[in-house]
Amino acid sequence: MDTATLTTPLTISVIAMSVIFVVLIILIYTIKLMVHLAPYEEPPTPTGTRTNPTAAPVVGSQASPEIVTAITAALGTHLGKSPGELQVTQINPGQ
Amino acid sequence: MELSFGNALAKILGTTGFTGLTSGHGVMLVVSCILLYLAIGKKFEPLLLLPIGFGCLLANLPFSMMASTNEGGLLYFFYQGVKYEVLPPLIFLGVGALTDFGPLLANPKTLALGAAAQIGVYTTLIGAVFLGFDLKEASAIGIIGGADGPTSIFIASKLAPHLLAPIAVAAYSYMSLVPLIQPPIMRWLTTPEERKIKMEQLKPISQTVKILFPIVATIVCCLMLPGVTPLLGMLMLGNLFRESGVTARLHETSETHLINIVTILLALAVGSSMTADSFLRLETLKIIILGLIAFAMATAGGVIFGKIMCKVSGGKINPLIGSAGVSAVPMAARVSQKVGSDEDPSNFLLMHAMGPNVAGVIGSAVAAGIFISLFGDVSGASPHAQSAFEAVAHIVSLP
Repeated sequence: MDTATLTTPLTISVIAMSVIFVVLIILIYTIKLMVHLAPYEEPPTPTGTRTNPTAAPVVGSQASPEIVTAITAALGTHLGKSPGELQVTQINPGQ
Repeated sequence: MELSFGNALAKILGTTGFTGLTSGHGVMLVVSCILLYLAIGKKFEPLLLLPIGFGCLLANLPFSMMASTNEGGLLYFFYQGVKYEVLPPLIFLGVGALTDFGPLLANPKTLALGAAAQIGVYTTLIGAVFLGFDLKEASAIGIIGGADGPTSIFIASKLAPHLLAPIAVAAYSYMSLVPLIQPPIMRWLTTPEERKIKMEQLKPISQTVKILFPIVATIVCCLMLPGVTPLLGMLMLGNLFRESGVTARLHETSETHLINIVTILLALAVGSSMTADSFLRLETLKIIILGLIAFAMATAGGVIFGKIMCKVSGGKINPLIGSAGVSAVPMAARVSQKVGSDEDPSNFLLMHAMGPNVAGVIGSAVAAGIFISLFGDVSGASPHAQSAFEAVAHIVSLP
């Protein structure tokens, strides 16, 4: 196989990777601009409800660690807290 | 016309499939049974490998007229959806409706990880040329590294339709093997300290941004790479159905019934293209090997770029999320979570890994758009568009 045959795909690869990075970097800055122009606003907090973030960990549940991880991550996003600060105490699929 | 008992029996026996059975058919029937076993017994991408395997089985029953090349047969018409690039974009519509871009919007830097993982596409392109494939074929094989089945089928049907069957099978088989392929590479390229890095909580994103993103991303990407429009446009339309809040019925249909129906048509069509003369070739073996290299290199590229971002950010980014830059959603993100929690059970990487994971979908679509820009026809009077009209005219004119 001659050098020219291998040079072409190498050139294509370098150019294509550069284009991918350029397109996605443009998207990064577009997203940053959108987030800056339309920032997240905290929804009004409903009164009279409380959560108990420091109860015991899940006991006797059939939930797999992956499900507990997913629920913890989703709760963290929803509550605006790090998943490490939360502890899922009980999962009741019946409710 | 009168038939004696003997003549009738001889005629019926002469028309059974047994008389047309060749060794090629036999081997392909075994291949189809292996695919069905992997789908049912091992649960490897069963939603796709099962109909692909059954399509392969149907296509290799002699005189059944079920191969994609049997004009007038049932699967011939299903295959037109692949040939004229209709079905993969419809799958992307469903994927868009299923995808939450929130983690990506909350941490847009992770888009760079989705770009870095595309290195697998291009190292495989070079490897494919080295093994004797021409540039169009090598591009179609390389896109396996994007770990995106519909994109692989889309590009293969456009640039190398004769390689569609092995490329689709390799892409979906390796996607199902992501939990086996990625972890050793991730552990090999990272230190225990890096795997323990805990990332900051993602910031919440306003609904306005979530609605604007699919519109703006479509304009930006499709203006730069028009060839990507069928895939990215449908992906973003599906996501707009999801986020707009005014098209609940379209959203629900896209993420459930539509994607399921199209998956059946697409997978059966791909299976129907797996005939002995198109599949039992040395090229298939080369594609299987190149596909594995593509996945490994994509994973390595994402992790290495993750390490660079870790250094640059002062240790705020866990390099493990880089491997999720291959698009296999959400399996690759779950692998990042699994490898991270193996090192530290209190480390939650799942939501952080979803950013590069959905960035990988966009990245592989962009990579596909570049191949189309280089080797496809994206002019206004595209012969593909004309042939699509011709195909529809041909189908509706049938008796």
